Amino acid sequence: MRAPRTIDLFAPASLPQQAPRTPVQSVAPRGLPVHRSGEPLWLGVHLPALAAPAAAPVPRILQALATRALRFTPRISLAPPDGLLLEVRSSLQLFGGVQGLRAAMAGECAQLTPSATLAFAPTPLAALAGARAGRALEVLDAARLAGALSTLPLTALRWPPELIERLACLGVRTIGQALRLPRAGFAQRFGSARLADLDRLTGRMSDPRERFEAPVRFRRRRELPCESASHALLAAALRPLLDELGRFLTARQCGVLALECRLWHRHAEPTRCVLRLGAPLADAARLAQLLDERLRLLALPEPVRACELRAGLPVSRPMHSAGLWQPGERGGLAAASGVDLIERLRARLGQESLEMLALVADHRPEAAWRVARPEACLDTASARPWEQAPQDGHRVRALAADAARPLWLLPSPRLLRQRGALPRYRGALCLEGDPQRIETGWWDGRDVARDYYNARDVHGRRLWLFREREPPHRWFLQGVYG
Amino acid sequence: MLADLPRQSAVSSPLSVDPRLERLLAHPALWRAGSASRVPVWPSGFAPLDEGLPGGGWPRSGLIEILPVRFGQGELRLILPALSAITCRTEARWCVWVAPPLQPFAPALAAAGIALTRLLIVRAPQHQRRPAALWAFEQALGSGACDSVLAWAKQASARQVRRLQLAAQRGNALGVLFRPREAAREASPAMLRVALEPRGEGVRVTLLKSRGGARGALDLTWTAVRGEPGGVR
Repeated sequence: MRAPRTIDLFAPASLPQQAPRTPVQSVAPRGLPVHRSGEPLWLGVHLPALAAPAAAPVPRILQALATRALRFTPRISLAPPDGLLLEVRSSLQLFGGVQGLRAAMAGECAQLTPSATLAFAPTPLAALAGARAGRALEVLDAARLAGALSTLPLTALRWPPELIERLACLGVRTIGQALRLPRAGFAQRFGSARLADLDRLTGRMSDPRERFEAPVRFRRRRELPCESASHALLAAALRPLLDELGRFLTARQCGVLALECRLWHRHAEPTRCVLRLGAPLADAARLAQLLDERLRLLALPEPVRACELRAGLPVSRPMHSAGLWQPGERGGLAAASGVDLIERLRARLGQESLEMLALVADHRPEAAWRVARPEACLDTASARPWEQAPQDGHRVRALAADAARPLWLLPSPRLLRQRGALPRYRGALCLEGDPQRIETGWWDGRDVARDYYNARDVHGRRLWLFREREPPHRWFLQGVYG
Repeated sequence: MLADLPRQSAVSSPLSVDPRLERLLAHPALWRAGSASRVPVWPSGFAPLDEGLPGGGWPRSGLIEILPVRFGQGELRLILPALSAITCRTEARWCVWVAPPLQPFAPALAAAGIALTRLLIVRAPQHQRRPAALWAFEQALGSGACDSVLAWAKQASARQVRRLQLAAQRGNALGVLFRPREAAREASPAMLRVALEPRGEGVRVTLLKSRGGARGALDLTWTAVRGEPGGVR
């Protein structure tokens, strides 16, 4: 589609042009996209350890490897029982070219299975055949495909053994020899399906592959090496599960808002420990830290034999560009680390332990404010809560500012003893200033009719009292000026 | 460094007759006792208090103790102007109140100029109130996400206060610990200790300990800040 691009940023323009660039050999220079960028490039992975017919249609290891490989490309296809295909053309630059990608993918494979062969080719079948033949092919260009394939044995195509034998009797043992046979005769003698296989191999025929969709929810269980009630051992056992969860979420650019950890015992019901987060999180280290805080508080009825991690639905995670300043420094984004603090406090002290205050336009002191949860400030777009519009601030402020109000409010008004008509609170009270009447709230059944006074107690504290207007005329303490 | 020169020479007035000596004293390698006061500060909002405090205000990073005789004698009002200035900045971080003994009354705080969107209140569970509150206090101080953290403690050992002071410096936060007056008898690693008693329409503030600042008592009257919400200079 597009002409080959050569980018050499550091070559001075005045230098004489070097000898014409030879066509790409096996490996593209690191980071330089010298191939046609529109063509697909497939990475075939063959896992010899899985070649034995497995009970399940798709072995677990293959699925796990596909999930891990999602970090390289979203276009992944399973070739059960022992193969995996990745379309990696657009990922080459990011992962350091063919060599870098090969090393990274081999690293992922090495964690799951003892050996794996990786082959790059422009068609999926060629990549798979190369890998199955044990050749580490690196064919980036469709024009060179047929040549590279010609020495591969026919067995790499996984055709039926009797067919391979018939071809061998004709002296056809490699793919190159098969490709040289006349097409019409080949189709007639061996079936058009086999010819189609060869066409898919060389790219004459398109080869659509079913895309691998990773499971939506994360759920893993792990048996402990021995029954244990030790907190440190539990944390260590959960860590690989959390690492896996972190990879699972990173591949989807998602985070979790809820995480459940179940600890299985021999006799007792499983212990459940639920972690709820203020903002979507995918970082395994931080999840481990938060879960650790919860586990410390758990009372285990029995030693644990297995642990299970169940994550809630992945939620798309807002991505922020990293700031130039550290949090708190000059204009640094403070809220980013604020989320961290809020989650840590919540994990230890409980979900309801954090409150924010908001104003309500009401004259009754107990109704003039409400509790708000910090979620509002941690929401997706507003990582900078101070940029939010103040909630109906002006009117509310006008209501509150018409008189001095105490900084502290008692949870509920406290009945005061009286001597004569005057209230007492740990000694005599000295009333100051003129009373203020608040009489409102008839519409919601919590109507009040009170006369508010300021008073000073024997310790010099300023208090806020009220006297009921209705007959028993009792006195209550409601606030402290502080 | 240059901006600090006049103050330094004012402190050392008997010595600063000779300009050569003054130049020598301005050498950056020379550390003098008064230089501990050169810490970044928040203005307290009370001009007489600012003069007495080291550096001219509450420290921006470090722990201070305020010791009223009884709860509610004006200790919160003393730092309210500074809190209002801190929370109203555009780049303000959180202002956390750990386990306040009563319900903070939002309309009064808003009238005093505090940005409620930056205020976070931590409730410690009843059964483990004291250790949980101290833990939350240290976490908030050290997190780097808070400008100021307030906590109320009946008892705190010198070791705990030292931890808090280190956390405040690590997180670059102003920690305010309200303790009863009896705590003044114990040694404390806090940067600043202020005792407080009510006096007429104001309070008498006694600086029990201030690194590099003056010590002694001064009287503040609330009328100085009553008019304008916030009351910051």
